[in-house]
Parts: sequence; structure tokens; C-alpha cells
Amino acid sequence: MTAPLLAVAGLGVAYGEIAALRDVSLTVGPGEAVALLGANGSGKSSLLRAVMGLVPIAAGSIAVAGREIAALPPERRARLGLGYAPEGRRVFAGMSVDDNLDVACRGGAAERRRRRTSVLALFPQLAEHGSRRAWQLSGGQQQMLAIGRALMTAPSVLLLDEPSLGLSPLLTAQLLARIRTICDGGTAILLAEQNVVQALAICDRAYVLQTGRVVAAGPARDFAQDPTLRRVFLGADPARSG
Amino acid sequence: MIAFQLLINALALGAAYALVALGFVLILNATGAVNFAQGDLVMAGGYVAIALAPLLPVPALLLLPLVLLVMAVLGLLLSALAYFPLLARPPSAVFISTIAVGIVLQNGANAIFGAAPRAAPPLLGAGDLALGGIVLSRQSVAIIAVASLLVLVQHLIISRTQFGRALRATAQDREMARAIGIGANAMIAASFALGAALAGAAGLLLANQFFVTPTAGSDLVVKAYIAVAIGGWGSLWGAVAGALLIAVFEVGVSSVLSYTAAAAGLYAALLAILVIRPQGFFGEAAQRRA
Repeated sequence: MTAPLLAVAGLGVAYGEIAALRDVSLTVGPGEAVALLGANGSGKSSLLRAVMGLVPIAAGSIAVAGREIAALPPERRARLGLGYAPEGRRVFAGMSVDDNLDVACRGGAAERRRRRTSVLALFPQLAEHGSRRAWQLSGGQQQMLAIGRALMTAPSVLLLDEPSLGLSPLLTAQLLARIRTICDGGTAILLAEQNVVQALAICDRAYVLQTGRVVAAGPARDFAQDPTLRRVFLGADPARSG
Repeated sequence: MIAFQLLINALALGAAYALVALGFVLILNATGAVNFAQGDLVMAGGYVAIALAPLLPVPALLLLPLVLLVMAVLGLLLSALAYFPLLARPPSAVFISTIAVGIVLQNGANAIFGAAPRAAPPLLGAGDLALGGIVLSRQSVAIIAVASLLVLVQHLIISRTQFGRALRATAQDREMARAIGIGANAMIAASFALGAALAGAAGLLLANQFFVTPTAGSDLVVKAYIAVAIGGWGSLWGAVAGALLIAVFEVGVSSVLSYTAAAAGLYAALLAILVIRPQGFFGEAAQRRA
């Protein structure tokens, strides 16, 4: 087995006295899409933010392609291959769509154009809005822009925090299908999602977080086919959350 | 005729104010903090020109690149002393630290150059230009040209270059900028360098007609503040427009009444703006107020 692209071991994060994550370990391998499931407040966002270096960690290690990164600032982690599309999108609202994409690319002008072309091929809805300000886009377009911006860094692992938040079921389905396409293109995915059924459908493996701990892990297919697992760990009613 | 000459004078003054205000907004956007030393940086730029002039007996225009460079370094120093050590503190700590740096600059200038007003050499040469029946001060025309060029270059850097995009991204969402690989602290330091360089350029431009004294900056930072309040917090073009408006108002009122009346009117206008339309008249909705 090849070394995982992302390896988190024994990770702990605390906000003051309150532990948000306890002894969390997970891996994302090359070409994998991994779902991070759990209810609101289970620690999904904290985990992604800790991996990105946006919250301090209290314990544990984080490695990208075998290199320990837990002591590095976020910008160094991004340059080592972590892409991040945060919860709430956080596009640069006053900047144009093109600038939002371009700013994330550290290559030269030719490389910027090349990457922008491939991002726009993935999200054709953005192509016609190149010079519009990001705040003028719809929620779905902003989400595509946030993901596209992360892709402009040419990441080896893409961290996605609740990309379907606030989107219609139709848009959610389209977006998640696109995320699978990104993964099939060679970028590994760690996807935090509340949309359990749809996330499991596009992911290879899944971890379930509950109050800051990993309480279940395994192939996505097993979760998808096991209603008990889903009810116990995810509180999801299969009839409702499809 | 008189009105036209007054307008040219006002535009020259406004163009210099615009540089001060632009630098002020660049730092404000990058840090969310008001740089109260901005006026003193203008004063410092004037003295840098005055100090360089005897060493290099050339028109002040040729001193400009050197002044920009020295002032950019001073801007980096300002960020290292007054901003970065206070990152974990509330923004008010930075207000106070920039005021402190301003006081240090004032007293430093007083110790080195004395309190008496000094003048830098003119940009291209003294005297007037006669265009048809109109007599224009060569210096005023040169100020307008140089300041317009600097505003344009600044605009191109901010809007068209990758460096400018990174500056804007850092200003809008520092954490997110870092998460896509931008060295946000380097961008903040660069904003200070750019802001100080623009202030220094204004200092050079003003230091011939208006003289420099160690305390000349306190007046200018208030004008930058008013220009930015008029222009909308964070808007670069708004700051330029605000600066021009202030200068036209100042020159207009002082030609009819007095400079004191103009200053009083300006402060009254600032109060009215802050009460009635705190987001200013130009830019987008303010992100944050300082």
C-alpha cells in the first residue's frame, strides 16, 4: 500500500476548556474520496480547519505525503498540496470571478491560464461571469468558485467543508457529481457533509464523527447499505435524507 | 482666469492629498487599523527629499524614486515596530502604536532638522508657465502630473498584477488568503511599504510650495481621514475623489474667506458625514469602520 497523501493521527483540538476533537486519526489515500460524516457540532469543520492550520492543535500529528506539517502556517500547508474550500464559501466578495481564481495560483501567467481553463471546464457556469464580482454570484456559483479557487492551487488533497450547505437538492446532486469528477481526475478528496446518502454515494470510504471522536470508519458502501449504522451514528432517516 | 488658476492650485493640493489618502486606505484595508502616523510619513518624505537635495543637486523629480524607496523601507519598519508585535491585541492597540510612531517621527525630525520650516527643491524648476493668457505655476502642474502618474501606477499594480490580487485577497479575508497559499504577513508588510511610499511621495510634492515642519503631518492625517470618510472606507477611488473634494473646498473657501474658515468647514463636514452617511459617498458598503 502506498503512503497516504494525508495522515492525521491522535489529533486533539480544544477551544478553551472544551474539547472539539479527541484522538482523531484518519487517512486519505491517492485517488480516494473520503467522506467525513457527523451531525452539527460533531467536529467536522474543526478537523478540516486544524488540518489546514487555521486552528491550533492540542495534540497529534498531521502529515502530507509523509511530511509532518503540524507546525507549519496555513500558507505553507497550501503550498505543500492542501486545497481548502471552507464552510460558507468565503469567496473574495469584492474581487472578480477571474481574480478569485487567479490569485490562488502561484505559477506564472501561462500556468494561471491553463489552470483557469481546466477549472472553467469543470464549472462552465462560472465561465460567463469572469468579470463579475464574486458577491453577485448565486450561492451555487459561489460554491463552485470556492472549490475552483482551491483547485487553482493544484492541490493533491482537497478539503471540502459542507459544499452543499444552502443549495437546492438538484444543485447538491450536480455539485457532488462534479466532486467525484475532480477525484477521478487525480485529486484526493476529504469531504465533510451532512448530506449523508449523497456523500456516501460519491465517496470510497467514510469516517463518522460524534462529539469530536471517530466512532465508525469503513467503506462507504457498507454505510450506505447498513441502515442501523446510519440511524445510530448519523441520526439519518434513510427515507428522508435521500 | 483667477478661478482657473485657483482650480489648478486646488487640483495640485488635492493630488498630493490623494496620495496620502491612498496610502492610508491601503494600510487600512490590509490591517483593519487606522495608521495615525500617515501624516507624519508625509512629513518624513518631505525631510528625506530635503536631506537628499544637497547630496544630489538635481530637480526633485529625479529624487522621487529614492524617496519612494527610503519611505518604503520606513513603512516596513513601521509595520515591524507598530503592527506585527500587536497582532494578538485589539485594533485600538495599533491606533495607539501608530500615534506613538508619529510622535517619534516628529521629534526625530525636530532633532535633526529643527523646528523652522524648510523647503525642498521644486520638481522641475521654479517659475510659471504661460499658456495663452493663463499663467500656471510650473510646480502645481508638475505635482498634478506626478501624482496622477503615481495614482495610475498604483491602480495598475493593485488591479492587474498577481501581487495586487494577493494584496486585495489578504485585505478581504486574511485567513482565507493564507489557506490558498498567500503569505499574508508579507502582503501586510508590503501594504505598509506601499502606503508609506505614497505618503513620502506626497511629502516630496508638497515640500516645495508648502514647506515642511516637524508637526506638518498632524494636519494631513486628519485630511486623509476625512477624504477616506467621504470616499467610503476601503474604496481607493473614493479616497482619491474625497481628497480632491477637500482640496477644492479648502482652496475655494480660503480664497473667499480664510484658511481658518476652510478648516472649520472641513471638520463640520466630516462630522456631518459621519452622522448622516457613515459609509461615505463613493465605495461599496463599508466592511469595517475604524
